[in-house]
Amino acid sequence: MKEVSYFAPTEVGEAAKLLAEYGDKAAILAGGTDLVAQLNYYEVKPAALLYIGGLGLDYVREKGGKLVIGAGTTTAHLLASDLVAQKFPVLAAAAATHGSPAVRTVATIGGNLGTASPAGDLIPPLMVMDADVILASVRGERAVPVKDFFTGPGETVRAADELIVEIQVPLLPGKAVFEKVGRRKAQVCSIVSAAVRLEMDGGVCKDARIVLGSMAPTPLRCPKAEGMLKGKAVDAALIAKCAAQAVAESDPIDDQRATAWYRQKAGTALVGRALTKAAGV
Amino acid sequence: MKQILSFTLNGAPVDVIVTATETLLDVLREKLGVTGPKRGCDNGDCGTCTVLLDGEPVRSCLTIALTVAGRQVLTVEGLSPDGDLHPLQKAFHEHGAFQCGFCTPGMLMSAKALLDTNPNPSRVEIREYMSGNLCRCGSYEEVVEAIQAVAAGEYKE
Repeated sequence: MKEVSYFAPTEVGEAAKLLAEYGDKAAILAGGTDLVAQLNYYEVKPAALLYIGGLGLDYVREKGGKLVIGAGTTTAHLLASDLVAQKFPVLAAAAATHGSPAVRTVATIGGNLGTASPAGDLIPPLMVMDADVILASVRGERAVPVKDFFTGPGETVRAADELIVEIQVPLLPGKAVFEKVGRRKAQVCSIVSAAVRLEMDGGVCKDARIVLGSMAPTPLRCPKAEGMLKGKAVDAALIAKCAAQAVAESDPIDDQRATAWYRQKAGTALVGRALTKAAGV
Repeated sequence: MKQILSFTLNGAPVDVIVTATETLLDVLREKLGVTGPKRGCDNGDCGTCTVLLDGEPVRSCLTIALTVAGRQVLTVEGLSPDGDLHPLQKAFHEHGAFQCGFCTPGMLMSAKALLDTNPNPSRVEIREYMSGNLCRCGSYEEVVEAIQAVAAGEYKE
């Protein structure tokens, strides 16, 4: 077998040039918690490993009304960040369920996006805040809304020569909640997950975001369910209808973790629970 | 592409020739004869490969060896450098916190990292921090009790 090359660039420009040369023959290595398992089981056979740990992409900053998170920020660092705890607590709630403590030490938010599992824990919180993914290449930088980033299980709009470098999160108002259910309480790939954000004025909803994980080929916004809430007084009856509508917009499958039937039941319960908490009813 | 990897292992400098896709677990067990960390699943789930990298718990089976260049790795061998058992090892022994012992190296490293960051954890905190270490023999309760005993100061170094 041809030997695999290893690169550990120290600048994004260097990484971009390497990706321009290798394209999809290079595997981008951050925490490695998805990639190295695939390598160990010979599921992927790259020509090169491009280690991005030396690019200085592990940061959380506030800039111009947004939280700006480097793609190389580990889940552990998200959990330790005061900025995240204060300004984006729903991300911390999801991060606490991501993998296991040893995985969280090295797994990155950019990796969670790049792996593009519909079950990715860090993704629904980003989607309820209308976050953007910043991609860099030798051709420059571009921003893609997280909601438009995924095209299928494990697939994104990232071109083979592009590197995820940053996630920009507008600090939108309202209360956001994350819920997840799995086959056990820790170290689980979600059977269903849900994130919601409600901007409330008294008992009336001004704006809503509802995102389902593990219920479709990609993490899923539920616009019809969101539309049911806008401008309405939120009570338990409306929440129940809205949760049912959100699940009706999804397309769950049977897999080794659960059946589609169970996902529909659990998804309805999770969205209802999250909306109840977010609305404060 | 073979490269020389230099890092610090259990307090001592080490140089070893590695390939790009070799994991830290591969290098420890097969090139350096350090067989404390075990290969239980090779995909990060079971936790028996857990080592400390710059003091923090990582899955050595998911760590590309070249990424630890210049860094500090601690394995279970490093808990008893002079042959005297570490307080956690004594506590695990006396509390019966293992049966077959296969999960134990990872359990000990996670437990050490826990007590280094949180010297007085609650039972819930212990169970959450240890949630990435699986035990097929079911010694979980004894593991929690052993960690509580060390935290309570019952095993002075």
